Amino acid sequence: MRNEGGPAPHTIDDYRRGYEEEHRLRGFRSSCGFTTATWGLLCPSCGRRDLQEVELSREGRVVAFSVQNVPSDEFLNDAPYAYLVVELAGGGRVTGWMPSARSESDVTIGDRVRFVESYRNGVHFERSPAEPA
Amino acid sequence: MRETWVVGAATNRFGKMAETGREAASRVALAAIDSAGLEPKDIEQTFVSNAFGVAERQAHVGPLINTALGIPEVPSVTIESACSSSSAALHEAFVHVAGGFADAALVVGVEKLSHLDTFASTSYFAMGADYAFESRNGATFPGLYATLASAYRREHGSRPEEFGAVAVKNHANAAMNPNAHFQRPITLDTYLGSPIIASPLRLYDCCPFSDGASAIVVAARERLPRPAAEPLVIRASARAGSVADMHDRETLTGLPATRAAGLKAFRMAKVEPAQIDFLEVHDCFTVAEIMALEDLGFFPKGHAGRATVDGVTAHDGRLPVNPSGGLKAKGHPVSATGAAQVVEIFEQFNGHAGGRQVPKTGLALAHNVGATGGSCSVHIFGRR
Repeated sequence: MRNEGGPAPHTIDDYRRGYEEEHRLRGFRSSCGFTTATWGLLCPSCGRRDLQEVELSREGRVVAFSVQNVPSDEFLNDAPYAYLVVELAGGGRVTGWMPSARSESDVTIGDRVRFVESYRNGVHFERSPAEPA
Repeated sequence: MRETWVVGAATNRFGKMAETGREAASRVALAAIDSAGLEPKDIEQTFVSNAFGVAERQAHVGPLINTALGIPEVPSVTIESACSSSSAALHEAFVHVAGGFADAALVVGVEKLSHLDTFASTSYFAMGADYAFESRNGATFPGLYATLASAYRREHGSRPEEFGAVAVKNHANAAMNPNAHFQRPITLDTYLGSPIIASPLRLYDCCPFSDGASAIVVAARERLPRPAAEPLVIRASARAGSVADMHDRETLTGLPATRAAGLKAFRMAKVEPAQIDFLEVHDCFTVAEIMALEDLGFFPKGHAGRATVDGVTAHDGRLPVNPSGGLKAKGHPVSATGAAQVVEIFEQFNGHAGGRQVPKTGLALAHNVGATGGSCSVHIFGRR
């Protein structure tokens, strides 16, 4: 990862603080084009050492999802909700959750979603305003 | 590399164990050694898997098992690879024996979680996922496979009945396996009427939380020319990995690690998928069995569900898949699962599988996935 003379690359906790406190999604992009929020030192796609810090888009589309009726203990009071894989507008995928999606009919693959400020931990997505409900 | 055999195998009844993991592991280990016609003192190395031993406030369980077996001086090591732990342990045993570092090795997998409640067990299972980038956003283990299932259904337009056919088949097989967690068959209506756990997966798409222990003994052919039971010749022992977080992979409708481990194994065994007589595959959820059969090259993408509906993968079908009942119905005591698949193949090769006996037992394949496919083992077994 290139950081000569620049600030140290962000940590996993920086990523958490980014979405919880600063309303931003921090990520990495490799020269091969692979983009991700997932923390790493080298690109998992091409193995190069040239990961660059990038600001990920807050907008994207749902590429896969599941409505969780039986949650983990950390989400005990939030079920049902959708767990999402989102393809972001500028590239890269992240996972998140959508508390307003309480059944399969509330979300569809291809839906446009936006990262919003949340009342609790987790990358919280909701439908983009442009998307009819 | 020396020819290496599985010469002994044993399991207990999966479900809820009253005894501790170390007690169960020690008992099945002794049963596996007995089935090989060996004594514990013949074991030169023990490979143990017990990924969630901390749930019993216990780590470093290998020396406890070896001590219980009267061989405290034998070295042991714990191998952890989530749900593929004990197949990874088998791979390590194979490497040791085939490479000449030991003549006989013991592989033991054990798990006990039944003393925890459902939410705690769900949280333990989710530990195989990426806590910072998956679980913190509400992913459960069923939820992760359900996410793959949503993408699979979208891409291939598969119907719920195809997932249901996997559940019905594996419960039917488990009903003929006295060591299975579930002993009763289910109907498609029962499947379709079961509640959604993580959409689109229903209760009967999901494997149960099971306690259980399984063990196998691996030995060099030259060490045991006349084994007590028909041995499994290890024709291939392959492992592969892939990008840990499934959302960062190119595909969400299959597991790249399965494909990679399968290719390695077929190359090592010098066989084609069409030559395999039956399989034990990793069906923690019904969609996982369908994806595995496609990723391993037994069916084109999008076709394994239909083949299951048509009975191709039934225990008396053209290609029996999971005659044991699989993780889905035999049960899934995480670290015992990989070894249990080999126990089933050992019983099938020896004609001890009762009503679930498959027609042909010349070549068999075992496929075991770690978590959502960050790791994967594929073993191919043949006859002498």
